[in-house]
Amino acid sequence: MTDRNERWGDLLRRANRGEAEAYARFLGEAAPVIRTIVRGRSGSETGVEDIVQEVLLAVHAKRHTWRETDPVTPWLYAIARYKSADAVRSRGRGGAQVPLDDVAERLADDSGGDPTAARDLGRLLDEIDDRSARIVRAVGVEGESAGEVGARLGMSEGAVRVAYHRAMNRLRKLAGTEDMTEETKE
Amino acid sequence: MKTEELIAKLAAEPAPAPAASLERRAGLGVLAGGVVAIALFFAVLGLRPDLPAHMAEPVTLMKTVLPLGLAALLLPAVMHAARPGVPLGWTAWLAVAVPVAAVALFVWAFATAAPGERLTLFIGHSIPVCLPTIPVLAMPILAGLVYALRRGAPEHPRVCGALAGLAAGGLATTTYSLFCTEDSPLFYATWYSLAILVVAGLGAWAGKRYLRW
Repeated sequence: MTDRNERWGDLLRRANRGEAEAYARFLGEAAPVIRTIVRGRSGSETGVEDIVQEVLLAVHAKRHTWRETDPVTPWLYAIARYKSADAVRSRGRGGAQVPLDDVAERLADDSGGDPTAARDLGRLLDEIDDRSARIVRAVGVEGESAGEVGARLGMSEGAVRVAYHRAMNRLRKLAGTEDMTEETKE
Repeated sequence: MKTEELIAKLAAEPAPAPAASLERRAGLGVLAGGVVAIALFFAVLGLRPDLPAHMAEPVTLMKTVLPLGLAALLLPAVMHAARPGVPLGWTAWLAVAVPVAAVALFVWAFATAAPGERLTLFIGHSIPVCLPTIPVLAMPILAGLVYALRRGAPEHPRVCGALAGLAAGGLATTTYSLFCTEDSPLFYATWYSLAILVVAGLGAWAGKRYLRW
């Protein structure tokens, strides 16, 4: 373990000086370890690779939170734990057991029969959280790919698709409730 | 996307963007919030008359020293909580001494006060000022701190937020104590503590809301 900490610490320090090769090696060596943690924490085989990628993205986005004098493994494991717990939680809540490819196919329909097209989309977008609103704008309105948006927001492609899908469902619900309130007003 | 491709993509950008360290940002956040809180303090409350004489009294001095100590001991713990895999550290455990001292002072004041005076001292005359004012003074400090902490990555956002709330509450209470004329621990050990706990609750809420990543 100390051995690994020294090697990874060395690689990360070099990465911080801009050595892409050292950084690639660190991420490559960390990925299988992360996979083991994720598998143990999520308790199922489905979606493991998505979570592993989430963790790698988080490691990348939060790499400044590692101090060069700290051991690497507790830091890395904590990120893997946090992201696994997060993924398990949102899976339990959203029931996102649907394979991502199915969702991707349905996304085409979503943007075609946009439930919010005829309304003030901006107003509806104000009702949902910032990140979801940005994703809907980028994917649904400006037509960017989930990968591009993900790279910008520090999310995996799969996570962007799921977030987009959920946001559209929420917007549809919001549009529905607005109908109801308008009707009751009349 | 395959994991190997993702790694290759990430590795194209090895060095983190140069930016002020987490501690520095948090320091600036607390400072900015503190300036607002102090401005608010002088605009609305102001120092109590004859402050130096009162500060010479050890029991009175404690109502300023204890919350300041709480903040000083917990701010490092907040920074540790904002980094993945870093233990809170010994200062967090030492901070337990603050509530212990508050309880001890309360018991001492209870024992030494005349039985007829206890309730009067406990209730005091300024609960409706003290309880809302401390959280209000803490708000800008907590906001500055939480804003800075968003760059961190707390494994337990709620705990990190609550610790930030305790620290911000401690700083706000330190300031408020320079205005407050209630000098019995029966009053301040109770109501200051309650106000600080309110801020800790706000911090926990803010942590859950703003410190997730």
